[in-house]
Amino acid sequence: MFNITLIILFFQNTRKTLFSNFLNTIISLIFIIVINLICFKAFGWLIHNANWKVITSNLPLYAFGSFPPAEQWRPATWIFSLLSLSIITLFGPEWKWLRKNLLIAWAGTIPLGLYLLYGGIGISPIMSRHFGGLTLSILLTTCSSLFSLPLGIILALCRQSSLPLIRKLSSIYIDVMRAVPLISVLFFGQLLIPLFMPVGIEIDRVWRAIFAFTLFVSAYIAEDIRGGLQSIPSTQIEAASSLGLNKYQIIQFILIPQALRIALPALTNQSIGLFQNTSLMAILGLVELLGVGRSILANPEFIGQYIEVYIWLACVYWFVCTIMAVLARHLEQRMKINQANF
Amino acid sequence: MNPIVIAKNLTKSYTKGLRALDNVSLTVNQGKVLVVMGPSGSGKSTLIRTFNGLETFDRGELNVLGINIEPNHDERKIQKIRRRVGMVFQQFNLFPHLSILENITLAPVHVQKRSQIEAEDYGMYLLSQMGIDSHAKKYPSQLSGGEQQRVAIARALALKPELLLFDEPTSALDPERINEVLDAMRRLAEQGMTMIVVTHEIGFAKDVSDQVLFMDSGKVIETSTPEIFFSNAQHERSRKFLNQLDKQ
Repeated sequence: MFNITLIILFFQNTRKTLFSNFLNTIISLIFIIVINLICFKAFGWLIHNANWKVITSNLPLYAFGSFPPAEQWRPATWIFSLLSLSIITLFGPEWKWLRKNLLIAWAGTIPLGLYLLYGGIGISPIMSRHFGGLTLSILLTTCSSLFSLPLGIILALCRQSSLPLIRKLSSIYIDVMRAVPLISVLFFGQLLIPLFMPVGIEIDRVWRAIFAFTLFVSAYIAEDIRGGLQSIPSTQIEAASSLGLNKYQIIQFILIPQALRIALPALTNQSIGLFQNTSLMAILGLVELLGVGRSILANPEFIGQYIEVYIWLACVYWFVCTIMAVLARHLEQRMKINQANF
Repeated sequence: MNPIVIAKNLTKSYTKGLRALDNVSLTVNQGKVLVVMGPSGSGKSTLIRTFNGLETFDRGELNVLGINIEPNHDERKIQKIRRRVGMVFQQFNLFPHLSILENITLAPVHVQKRSQIEAEDYGMYLLSQMGIDSHAKKYPSQLSGGEQQRVAIARALALKPELLLFDEPTSALDPERINEVLDAMRRLAEQGMTMIVVTHEIGFAKDVSDQVLFMDSGKVIETSTPEIFFSNAQHERSRKFLNQLDKQ
């Protein structure tokens, strides 16, 4: 009974919206046919033609690249810890000590990741050229974000400095970095830095990539934070200075916390963009997630299966970016309660 | 009598030749309440903001709490004074990202280097004095205007100031909320706090102040006791202003 009324309601609604007159009926019919054709074709391909063996037999490769198989538990542990921390942050209980220590836990994941990947005390050291796949993409993203945030804050503050030289230098830096394409900065990191280095000193390729990403992203972050700084009313500075706080205390306790809150949505954008941009490293010879896909396609066994591979890669990128976006929204929600009412 | 603020011939002009302050002289003694009145743009706010160095002046002498403030002073020297002078603003200017208690403990902990526990204890004491200790864990945006302004007063008191400056503390409040702030200020005056208050609240000025200063276009027009000022103002300009206020 209930179901029947629902169905009748549905048909009445569609008649009103899609088939209200002759022209609408024709347009609706054409679109329905086109959409159906596309969907049938796509599903037919997915079920009958697609050969998912190219994905399933290479899963460790996508995740860890050429990391020695005996040691793959290490990056696996790291990714698992990141994933479980995300789940705890999103759905975990509201215990006060837990919420307080979550930030420390998040900050701790980067040294943990570096230790697990590079090895050292207790576990065998592994060269960075064995890093790859999703692990490498995440490593590049987290390390570059970690370094570019403080650099971006410093640049933003310098850009508002009262000393003309510092102000000019930082604004030139920001403008130059925003005027060149990311790929050229990455080329600079991979090809030119080794030339500038004295003989015998070599920075490994992963760190050169992180360095280049940091240089580039910090300029954008600086602009986001400058926007945040400028939207803080000057009365906040007056109130703080009339309490006797000095310039640096005002920056530390009043300006930066508020600017970061205001800039948070923009910063999320930057870090999601950064994760996607790590795929550019595939061109420059680092075998991260996209690079793994390309190298698998170059394998004669899987030749021509690029549709399967790229659909799979798109799903993985989508999944990670969605987690990042949801985490950022969660953070925004938590901060909303003490949002500004200037 | 121990003078807290002595100003002699303070003058400040803006670039267009407009005088914000024009030969302003005044003295405020310890434990006294000075009310500054005047139409908007008369320089009242500029005047009290020079007392804690938020504004500079061009000429004249200014001595606050025994420390000389020079014209076009250096930001760093002024900090010694700011630690001993509290200020309450028209728009409260609480820090929106800090809880009420954190707003109050920020300066004692980082400026006076008191311990967190001591600062929190004293902060809670001040909040209970203001009748808002139940809000300590909330954030400014969760409070009404009157409550926020009382937090701002508590924040100014947290440094145990010897002088409190009020810059139109009730002008941004709903009429029903004005009294809770004025009552808190009355109690402070009874406790012997030295206060300089820019306000249009005639009732408050009549009851609490020891001296009323009336300003127009940067000049001091009249200084007298509240009894004389409100019943028998000497100056035509003051009478006109009081008439306008009465009509409202």
